[in-house]
Amino acid sequence: MTDTALATVPRELILLANATDVLGGVTAWTHQMARLFGANGHRVQVVGIHEAELKLALPEPPAYPVTALYPAHPPTPWQPRSPLDRFDLRARRREAARVADKRRAVARLGEIFRAAGPGALVIVTQVWPMEWVLEADTTGLRLIGMSHESYEYSKRCHRFRWIKNSYPRVDRWLTLTQEDADAWIAEGFDNVGAMPNALGSLPELPSPRTEKTVASIGRLDDQKGIDLLLETWSMVTGERPDWRLRVYGAGQDAPALKKQCTELGLDGSVDWMGPTDDVPAALAGSSVFVQSSRGEGFPLALMEAMASGLPCAAFDCAPGVREIITDGADGLLAPPGATDALADRLLRLTGNPRLRDSLGDRARANVQRYSETEILRRWHELFDLLDR
Amino acid sequence: MSAVEISCVVTAGRDAHALRRSVESVVAQTMRATEAVVVLGLTVAGPPGTGPADSGPGSGERAAAAGFADAESAAEDVRAVADELAALDPARVRVVTSGAETPTTAVLRNHGLDQARGRYVTVLGEGERLQRDACRNLWEAAERSGAELVAGRWTPRAGRRVKEQPPARIVESELYARSRTVDDLADAPELVVADALVTGFCVSTALLDRAGLRYAEDLDRAEILFGAELAAAARRIALVPNLVVSGRAAHDPAGALEGQLAAHVRVAELPLLRNDPGLREARDRAFLTDQLVPLARQFPKLDADGRARAAALVAALPAARTDPGLRVGLPPVERVCLQLLADGDADGVLAAGYALGRPDTVASALAERDGRVYWRAELPDDPGERAAFDVTELGHQYRPFAGTPLMNHLIHCGQEGEKLVLEGRLPAPLQPLAPDASLTATLEFLVRGSDGRRAFRAPVDEVWREGDAVRWRASVEIGALLRVGGTRDRVCDPHLALHTPVGTTSGPLFLERDRVEAAGSYRARPRRGPLFGDTWKPYVTVKHHLALQLEARRRPGRIAAAALHYLTHFRPARKLKRLVKGVRRRFDRLSARSVKARVYNRLLIRLPVRKGSVVFESHMGKCYGDSPRAMYEELRAQGRRKVRCAWSYASSTDGFPTDVRLVRRLSWRYLWTLARAQFWVDNQGFPLDLRKPPRTTYLQTWHGSAYKRMGFAESRIKAQNASERDKLSAALARFDHFLVRSEHDVTTLARDYRQPAESLVRCGYPRNDRLVRARATDETQGRFPRPALATALGIPDHRKVVLYAPTFRGMPKKGRAVQLPLDVRRFAQRFGDEYVLLVRAHYLESAVLPVCPPGTVIDVSGYHDVSELLCLADALITDYSSIMFDYVLLDRPMIFFAPDLDAYVAARGSYFDLRAEAPGPVVETQDELLRAMDELKPSDTAHRADRARFAQKFGGFESGQAARTAVDVLFAGRTRR
Repeated sequence: MTDTALATVPRELILLANATDVLGGVTAWTHQMARLFGANGHRVQVVGIHEAELKLALPEPPAYPVTALYPAHPPTPWQPRSPLDRFDLRARRREAARVADKRRAVARLGEIFRAAGPGALVIVTQVWPMEWVLEADTTGLRLIGMSHESYEYSKRCHRFRWIKNSYPRVDRWLTLTQEDADAWIAEGFDNVGAMPNALGSLPELPSPRTEKTVASIGRLDDQKGIDLLLETWSMVTGERPDWRLRVYGAGQDAPALKKQCTELGLDGSVDWMGPTDDVPAALAGSSVFVQSSRGEGFPLALMEAMASGLPCAAFDCAPGVREIITDGADGLLAPPGATDALADRLLRLTGNPRLRDSLGDRARANVQRYSETEILRRWHELFDLLDR
Repeated sequence: MSAVEISCVVTAGRDAHALRRSVESVVAQTMRATEAVVVLGLTVAGPPGTGPADSGPGSGERAAAAGFADAESAAEDVRAVADELAALDPARVRVVTSGAETPTTAVLRNHGLDQARGRYVTVLGEGERLQRDACRNLWEAAERSGAELVAGRWTPRAGRRVKEQPPARIVESELYARSRTVDDLADAPELVVADALVTGFCVSTALLDRAGLRYAEDLDRAEILFGAELAAAARRIALVPNLVVSGRAAHDPAGALEGQLAAHVRVAELPLLRNDPGLREARDRAFLTDQLVPLARQFPKLDADGRARAAALVAALPAARTDPGLRVGLPPVERVCLQLLADGDADGVLAAGYALGRPDTVASALAERDGRVYWRAELPDDPGERAAFDVTELGHQYRPFAGTPLMNHLIHCGQEGEKLVLEGRLPAPLQPLAPDASLTATLEFLVRGSDGRRAFRAPVDEVWREGDAVRWRASVEIGALLRVGGTRDRVCDPHLALHTPVGTTSGPLFLERDRVEAAGSYRARPRRGPLFGDTWKPYVTVKHHLALQLEARRRPGRIAAAALHYLTHFRPARKLKRLVKGVRRRFDRLSARSVKARVYNRLLIRLPVRKGSVVFESHMGKCYGDSPRAMYEELRAQGRRKVRCAWSYASSTDGFPTDVRLVRRLSWRYLWTLARAQFWVDNQGFPLDLRKPPRTTYLQTWHGSAYKRMGFAESRIKAQNASERDKLSAALARFDHFLVRSEHDVTTLARDYRQPAESLVRCGYPRNDRLVRARATDETQGRFPRPALATALGIPDHRKVVLYAPTFRGMPKKGRAVQLPLDVRRFAQRFGDEYVLLVRAHYLESAVLPVCPPGTVIDVSGYHDVSELLCLADALITDYSSIMFDYVLLDRPMIFFAPDLDAYVAARGSYFDLRAEAPGPVVETQDELLRAMDELKPSDTAHRADRARFAQKFGGFESGQAARTAVDVLFAGRTRR
């Protein structure tokens, strides 16, 4: 790592997440950052509220302690729904046990905090663990909250209330983009900042952009909008019969999507590639990347595609997307849900190799502002800010 | 702890509490590397003009001496508080003393800037508080962007229980809407234009030293100049949306006027503004609307001296600062105010200031010259200044005398024994009154709280004309006249009703605040006895009108009032009030929307269906019209037995039939009716979260064929998440029958609302039966006589009728009216003799129409049934509204006025190309529209074939029998699911 990254005192860091090992973006981010912090001389430990059933495969065993407060997802608090419920003794006993468990978990968390000593930094990666943090003794600690989704997305679900209730009490909390932070500031928060996700690694060589292939990478579920992508593709494939769409990923909607694909008569031009472990290779074999999500935070797949030098077309569904892509400079954006606009962007990209090259080269250069070194520097800046 | 990063300079005024507030907010900063530099003066006197404005009437030498003693004790308090705060946290609070002889705020601040140790400095005004995270946010923004100046939001103090809001201009300009870095002041001109930098900023000490910036010590409001100089000097400015400072002293346009004006003149002379005329002009304009117009608005509150002084001060401004050119585009009364202020005419400003919030009121004797209406008769020769008095836009020339409010200025208000003697003056109205016309008047004392129903009347002794004014004089024995009960009727508002041969106008009496003392007080004899009050005390209301209040001054009344106050305020009473409030809140929660939906979906829906009951709703209850109305009328005409109809209304029952059951939308009664109804008929959608009872049949008439993409073809819906789309799907699956007008509807609307083929009823819209009939009548008998509606709207037979009906562009922001794309006034000028323009904003979204000659433009937005209007109209101007598909059935000329066609299509998507399909000219500009109107007749024949094709394509199923078919389908008794 560079000098800028190391120009800070070693610190005691506790990364606190919902689960230590659940398959998902935040866990991957947590371990990525834990590794990064550890490699730069900080003492790191990862604490999860519980262990998960669907495990995330880590590239290597973690070199830092990982603790889970519960062996499985703790039960949700019980509330009597009708006057009769109040006499439900079994439920009351279960609730009492839950409260006792929670007390134990809070005590354990308190011990971890105490062991870390004053001046330690607690990074709460999701808002849910704040329930435990706020009950534990946090004197002498610095609390950093995080929210890994866009403001709009939080606003539409229960986490909005959770954030409103618990994040006023942290020292600083971070959204993914400044635009989200500004929205939260307008909501009345003043202790909010922004911190983008880091791009894992930069492939040595960019994609040659010679294959007539458009790639999409993402879970096959509603949020990723593969149904919209198929609709879009049906408008593209007529004019670009020699181009193919490769859809990487697996998910619960796979059968429905394949059915839709057949109905639209796209079987001849769409390849269902299934999940992939080797994203750079998948990207190297494509010339254009498309992202049709309905909601995103700070999409890693998009950054990886740009790192591979692919020109991207995407729905402008979240501040994270417009932060990563500058429309017209290093990718093309379409209004969310506007499939004809997305089709228009794909037609422009597939029809013009020079546009592909210029956007792709610029994308690869520009996305490096989210390199691990750069993000680490911003974290160190934040630690310094909290010291002052 | 590291070195000091930010120094906050806090100067001490006379208010020790204010100082404490400010310093404590600095000590509470989350960023620990912050210090408060408290600057005290060596001498005792507080800086003049910075304290509360205490120069009331009667401030003489004696008061000055007393003030001096006060100031001395205040200064001691301030020093004690400063020392105490410094002792509490010596590391973060530093007290420094300025040795200057006249320690004005500017001098103290400069001393503080000299003493500041931090790399950045902020300056807090009296009583201002830094938000807890302010320093951290400012510092982070500065460090990250490398800016020399960082600024964020600040809010002035508001009244009790009112949320503090930043100044309106700053909010509207969105200066602080998002985090950004400004390298060129042109990207954020409001920093200079709107005095944004008077507080809430932090600036690097390096910049202060480099540019040698200090507060101007000869200025009273030096922070205004300082802020502008900062903005000019900084190489890079960072703006943050965070709240930085709250509790700034509220802006008082009259209070520190002299300092304000001097600072403004100095800012305008800065090289930055001198070299950038655009910026200077923007600042001058902002100054006029933000400072001088509010000043004029305050005139009725000021005393005579204050008014004269303020007018003289403004008149002494350099002419360039109040140039008539700067006022172009302002509302007429504001223009008049500014011109009068610039002339130094204090009395004129008083009247104009009174009229500011009341554009309907005639506050001055208007005069008509060359077809224009002017504020007053004597006009300046300079055309620019003369234009300032032009108030034609107000439309007074079109208003009848009766009912036009006149400013009734009391020129005498005094006590003679038990009599209140009033003498007033009204401007003569614009409408000519015969010189010998008999004028009489009555004084009416309206009892407040009775909605004008209770009044005590007294004759006016004398009414006479004097030049361009009407004068009157009355003396009233108050105690004998005002025989109120004494409980709730404790305030009376005197109004003067002026009777003339052309009608009566009535209005309250304007009185300056400082003249109410002379009105004395009067014995009162309330009917319930002296315990309820014994004195009538005249006072001036917040709206500057004379009113009389019943007071208890003598012993029995005072004791009764005290007892009553005790009874309503002692502890058990307070507790009871809280309890009642709490119970009421709980009770209100029971009728919350979510509770209602739950109760409906779980309980009410199980109720048995009542045979033959139908619920009708049109446009979510906003009107009684459209296809549901046509079906309802058909049902009534058929005279079916055992049919019970109910109509839903949103807020008002105006215009709904009286002989039918009416239920307010979303009330409990509504839910009950819906749950028990056998048939639902609606044109837009019953509340989406209400399930349809299992045995109910839902007929959806829909309210128009589609041009823009709808339902699941709309990108907004596509981008929604699965649960939101499922909700919409479930709501749409409630429809058992869906009316369509053509195959176009089948492949667009019905497809994208996912209606199965068996639910489609190919009969056309019931509302259009009337149009089909009207066309048949046209062909046999011609268009005359017109429907009765023409008489009701006052449309003469010799004028043609044009209906302008633009589409709905989304709800306007709160408190703002819809802006019409069409310049109605220009249209009326050009075609007023030939046409009557009916304007219909989207149903019940009324637009504000400019004043036009009577009978040329009529707002019909509130009219319930649009198809009646369509029958009346000889031509239609529309854009993308579905009204085009209906009107074409009449085979009359249409013009498509779509100034934003491409943008609209890009944003919303469309099902067909309007330019290719339109059965009439598609125009994009105002001029093209007027030209198209000119050629309406010759071009009409050319479009006849287009119209037939269009009608066939988009309304192929319209046969004039839709209502009957729809009713038959409904009662055929088939429920899909």
